[in-house]
Amino acid sequence: MTAYVRAAARAFEMSMKLRAVNPFTNFGWLVFPLIFVVLGLALLGGGGKSAYAILGGGLLGYWGMAYVEGGNEIQNERWSGTLEQIMGCPTPLVVIVVGKLCSSLVFGALSFFPAIAVGYFAFHQSVQNIDPVPFAVSFLVLTFAFFCMAVTLAPLYAMWRWAFSVTNGFEIGVYVLGGFMFPISQLPAWLQVVASVFAPTWAVRALYAATGQPFGRQYALWWAVSIALSCGYLVIGWFLYRLVDVRARATGQLALA
Amino acid sequence: MNTLRIFFRTCWFQYRAMFNWATPIGYLSYKFLQPIGQILFFTELGIFATGRSNALYFALGNALQLTAINGIFGVVMSVGNERQFGTLPILLGSPANRLVTFLGRAFVHVIDGIAGVAVGLALALVMFQIDLSHANLGLLAICVCIISLSTAGLGLMFGSLSLIMRDVFVIANGVYYLLLVFCGINIPVSRLPEWAQLISTGLPLTRGVQATREVVSGAGLAQVSGLLAGELAIGLVYALIGYSMFRWLEHQARRGGLQEAY
Amino acid sequence: MRFMGTSAIQADQLRKTYTTTRGLIRRERKDHIALRGVDLDIQRGELFGLLGPNGAGKTTIVKILTTLLLPTSGVARILGLDVVNQAWAIRKRIGFVFGGERGLYWRLSGLDNLRYFADLYRIPPDVSRRRIGELLETLDLKGREHDKVEGYSRGMKQRLHLARGLLNQPEVLFLDEPTIGLDPVGGRELRGLVRRLSNEGTTVFLTTHYMLEADEICDRIAVIKKGEIVAQGTPSSIKTGAEDQGVVEFEIEGLPAQRIEALRQLPAVATVIVEERELAQVITIHCSRPGELAASLGSLLDGMQVRNVSVREPTLEDAYVLLVSN
Ligand SMILES: Nc1ncnc2c1ncn2[C@@H]1O[C@H](COP(=O)(O)OP(=O)(O)OP(=O)(O)O)[C@@H](O)[C@H]1O
Ligand SMILES: [Mg+2]
Repeated sequence: MTAYVRAAARAFEMSMKLRAVNPFTNFGWLVFPLIFVVLGLALLGGGGKSAYAILGGGLLGYWGMAYVEGGNEIQNERWSGTLEQIMGCPTPLVVIVVGKLCSSLVFGALSFFPAIAVGYFAFHQSVQNIDPVPFAVSFLVLTFAFFCMAVTLAPLYAMWRWAFSVTNGFEIGVYVLGGFMFPISQLPAWLQVVASVFAPTWAVRALYAATGQPFGRQYALWWAVSIALSCGYLVIGWFLYRLVDVRARATGQLALA
Repeated sequence: MNTLRIFFRTCWFQYRAMFNWATPIGYLSYKFLQPIGQILFFTELGIFATGRSNALYFALGNALQLTAINGIFGVVMSVGNERQFGTLPILLGSPANRLVTFLGRAFVHVIDGIAGVAVGLALALVMFQIDLSHANLGLLAICVCIISLSTAGLGLMFGSLSLIMRDVFVIANGVYYLLLVFCGINIPVSRLPEWAQLISTGLPLTRGVQATREVVSGAGLAQVSGLLAGELAIGLVYALIGYSMFRWLEHQARRGGLQEAY
Repeated sequence: MRFMGTSAIQADQLRKTYTTTRGLIRRERKDHIALRGVDLDIQRGELFGLLGPNGAGKTTIVKILTTLLLPTSGVARILGLDVVNQAWAIRKRIGFVFGGERGLYWRLSGLDNLRYFADLYRIPPDVSRRRIGELLETLDLKGREHDKVEGYSRGMKQRLHLARGLLNQPEVLFLDEPTIGLDPVGGRELRGLVRRLSNEGTTVFLTTHYMLEADEICDRIAVIKKGEIVAQGTPSSIKTGAEDQGVVEFEIEGLPAQRIEALRQLPAVATVIVEERELAQVITIHCSRPGELAASLGSLLDGMQVRNVSVREPTLEDAYVLLVSN
């Protein structure tokens, strides 16, 4: 067990080092949220909806990091020819993925800094009325949701080369379903149904509620649903990791870029 | 005659590479999933900000901007991959006409970009019921072609840059999203601060998108010809800059000055 | 085949079929048979070489034996453990190195690379620290371990690969074309190291294109062709497989083209190579029963001046060419 913790910690460290010098990473947490906050504030700034623009920009960066970068990790391993080697070592893929994901969550969380800064300095807008405890809890629940989704998706990238381009193409769609920059209640009903099986959606709803709405029972419900869905993903993930060990070895695609 | 053959051969290779790039499923996802996501996101954001009556503005703008996926990413990739796969010296060493191989690389993406906008418009039509009843459809098609050409021009410039710089993709990524801010896609250019409007005038898409908006609300060729000519000219300027950079690079490489370009 | 407890690597009728699909609209499935029933039995401590032309299936075998690829059918065991069902137990006890420069984190230092894999191989930290130090020493990377891998020469990358493969003190080591891209000195050093490992008791399974390499260090070799093993044994027994094969070389002046053609047509002759020198041509003939050919050269080339006739023993290379051609 300690050996696995050590392996995950080392994967985290390696991933942090690689990311720190990776321009895509730095684009993802620094520039990308910035552009969206500017767009968001330009559109939403006037009507007291600036929380959606500022936090939304941060959420976009956070999610992008956890989701795209998490997938990118596997894709990068493929390109550098190391995927085969990490699959061939006596440490389960999930241990390595967890370590790497923690690093992408760290970088992702950084997204909130440029988002808040540009809001404050360029538009003189900030997020008001934060209710600290529910806000913090919602943030943790959201982080857990991101983590579970990304862990669950990772084996798909190892199994199929095209999986990454599919999820990549879906990235912006997730901003919609997650209600990152606008409440999902304005979406067509069928999309709201789709969004409701999406764990981050509930956490994001709680997060925005904590910037103005009074604390109440509904928070517990949102958190519980989000956590339950996240755990559901983990169950699916468990099967996927079992599958990947067989599938990837059967097709011989690990070595292909 | 020979030139034409090289042109089409280059196009064909580019087309093949595009499909092999990420397997057919990957291609389809980038042709459909990303457009759906982008149109949906910005239109809903626009609705949240300004009300449902403005949905058309956002849906149309984003459908048109989709051409930049090809114009920028596609073209940069097809020029830049040369470097990644180490085939640049072979290309530079070949006697083929430079301009032709260079443009051949972009051409496929112009076509694919037009297809992309068609998909985008169809999606916008389905999702947000864009009203095209006043539009002259032929003229609309011309607008789309011109936008596609001009973004490919910008792409050629970044493609050339990518031969010298390692991480142009990151910059291209940034440019893609900046186009969403500056080109009257989501924010009317007139509402931008003055310095930003200056940037807008120097970018492709700005004029083309404006022309298309006017065409959709019933304008004729005479009213938008100036805008379209300007759009085309901007694209040409970027393509020319790209081509000169490409030639310059070739010159430097031959003198042995740019080893790291390989 | 009966599996015995002492074997390091055993394979029984290994087959692998790759299925590829192509086409966007009409998806075509194409089966490609890479292995057609391969048997192997390699003892502990043996240094085994697998030779074969491009695409013969060498890498496929190595990947199956290192648990990275599942065989389509057949059984393989490493140290008595099944490669399909007991992969985890095997992975701890083997090491593998694939030739080439890929497979390292180029943007990190060599030391970072080794530390990472040491943890993935679940080696306790104190052991791994000592081990990494030793490996850097043996593989002549000391002093450069803090540099980024992208700045390493090809040989250094290859040695770093080997260091990674040796981190867990593997009982069985797989090397797929380990000397590819190395200069002659680097190649020799690597061979020396592999020989030493083998003497210390490590079982080594190595693939290569270089006959000399295999001849020099391997205890036993197998030649694979189109997914089938066509010969297996000690280097000398493979050579005797080509016993009546040999090479006749001689110099001659102004041999006309139709004569060369006539030589080629002789039933015993496999290939005729003509090399133009300043005043003469050097003719190299690969053939069976070279002694007889050399004796009859005079009459075959009636009256022309034939100089410096030599008849060579078949080298392993000759045997190999014979095995994989025809
Ligand atoms: N992932 C794959 N998908 C489809 N076919 C494959 C795959 N990997 C290998 N092959 C095919 O299987 C055959 C054997 O390949 P393999 O790589 O084992 O040969 P090799 O002996 O290692 O060749 P080389 O000496 O060139 O390295 C080849 O014909 C190859 O094209
Ligand atoms: Mg091989």
